[in-house]
Amino acid sequence: MEQISDFARQFNVSIGIDESLVVEKQARYFLLNARLKGLASSDFFYAGTYLGKFKNRVFFPSFALLNMIAERKEANRMIINEKAEWLFICGRDLFKQGIVSMVDPKSKGTYTLILNKQGECLGFGKIMANSAQTKDEHAVIVKNVLDVGDFLRRER
Amino acid sequence: MHKSSYEPHAYNRWLMSGKDFFVQRYEELGWNYCGCKPIQAIRINVANARKAEVVKRLEAKGIRLRRIPFLENGYWVSETKFSVGATPEYLLGLYSIQEAAAQIPVSLFTELKHRTVLDACAAPGGKTVQLADLMQNTGMIVALDVEKRRITALANQLERCHAKNAIVYRMDVRQISKLNMRFDRLLLDAPCSGNFAADANWFRRRTIDDVRRNAELQRELLAEATEVLTDDGELVYSTCSLEPEENELNVDWAIRTLGLRTEQIECYGEKASTDIFGGRLDSSLENCRRIWPRETQGFFVCKFRKRVS
Repeated sequence: MEQISDFARQFNVSIGIDESLVVEKQARYFLLNARLKGLASSDFFYAGTYLGKFKNRVFFPSFALLNMIAERKEANRMIINEKAEWLFICGRDLFKQGIVSMVDPKSKGTYTLILNKQGECLGFGKIMANSAQTKDEHAVIVKNVLDVGDFLRRER
Repeated sequence: MHKSSYEPHAYNRWLMSGKDFFVQRYEELGWNYCGCKPIQAIRINVANARKAEVVKRLEAKGIRLRRIPFLENGYWVSETKFSVGATPEYLLGLYSIQEAAAQIPVSLFTELKHRTVLDACAAPGGKTVQLADLMQNTGMIVALDVEKRRITALANQLERCHAKNAIVYRMDVRQISKLNMRFDRLLLDAPCSGNFAADANWFRRRTIDDVRRNAELQRELLAEATEVLTDDGELVYSTCSLEPEENELNVDWAIRTLGLRTEQIECYGEKASTDIFGGRLDSSLENCRRIWPRETQGFFVCKFRKRVS
């Protein structure tokens, strides 16, 4: 649980999750409602809202967790245009020219959520350069870490 | 007097396969074979997005949609230059790709909100997500399937579509008593022989023996499912098979053996026949719907209610 909170803090927010409703199953974390919790002691495969998993001590968040973080207005975020949206969900990094707006310029190495113009969370990435200080429109500003295209890639 | 099962003695066993054999059966059931191809369909997840908004966004991308007249949230994909399974809207869970006839079974349940629902053969999860959507993430769905690869696909669907009220077990429904639960609503979209409209090699692959084996399994599943259904609970039974052994004959058997009664349903398709190859079945079979392939694939659907004991 602490690692989930640590992960959220990398986006400059803290999120409140009722720990009593979180269940770990083979290093995967699920947030259940009270009704599902009653069943969770049984040997389930998936339940409620998937939060993420640990693999080799690294936390891999779910898209539901990213959405929970995105609900917090103060979370690091970048809004991107439609062309950049297509590229980002194909696993590509973000160029300066694709960025429409951001909460405020972030320092290199921090995480940021990537949202489309409708405000839907497409994934997250790591800031590689300060957008405001970068003149080159083709410069990579955000390195793609996880995007929703993963739903297609993971079933290959 | 009802006939308990159909045994077509007139056919030699080795002749009971192949396109001619099955097409002749369909003709005897009153349908003339045509080599139709179902139109691709999507279903908008209304818990995640407004229908008009999703349609507008997809049309702006050059995807032409046509409302499916017999479904609340279904649309046919009339034209698209790329896969509708690769758009941001799909990956964000705003819609699912779900064949039109396959959207019917879940739509037949009444009062789904806050219910305890069993999706007995759930993978790959299109109908489980549809249930979660109509339940608006209230109540609880227990989703079962047996193959690891298939339940992984089911879990991915649930995650993609933001379903929050489902719990998935790798379990055969015949072991459901282990969970010690009872269900108000039960979907049994049974494993079946499939149909030629959804599988180009169907006629080459299927024999009447496959059909009979599946029919036997379906009866076992129906019996087990009925055990865990609450009194007065609803059970929707469906297959994508066109073979009467897996449909009308199983329903007739369930009425006579399991204390289930069919409920009248208003949906696409024609009334199921009460006269199968000369054998008379329970008259309430007319409540079920048989869907011959045309714009949709082939399908059969029946809604049961468990008699109060």
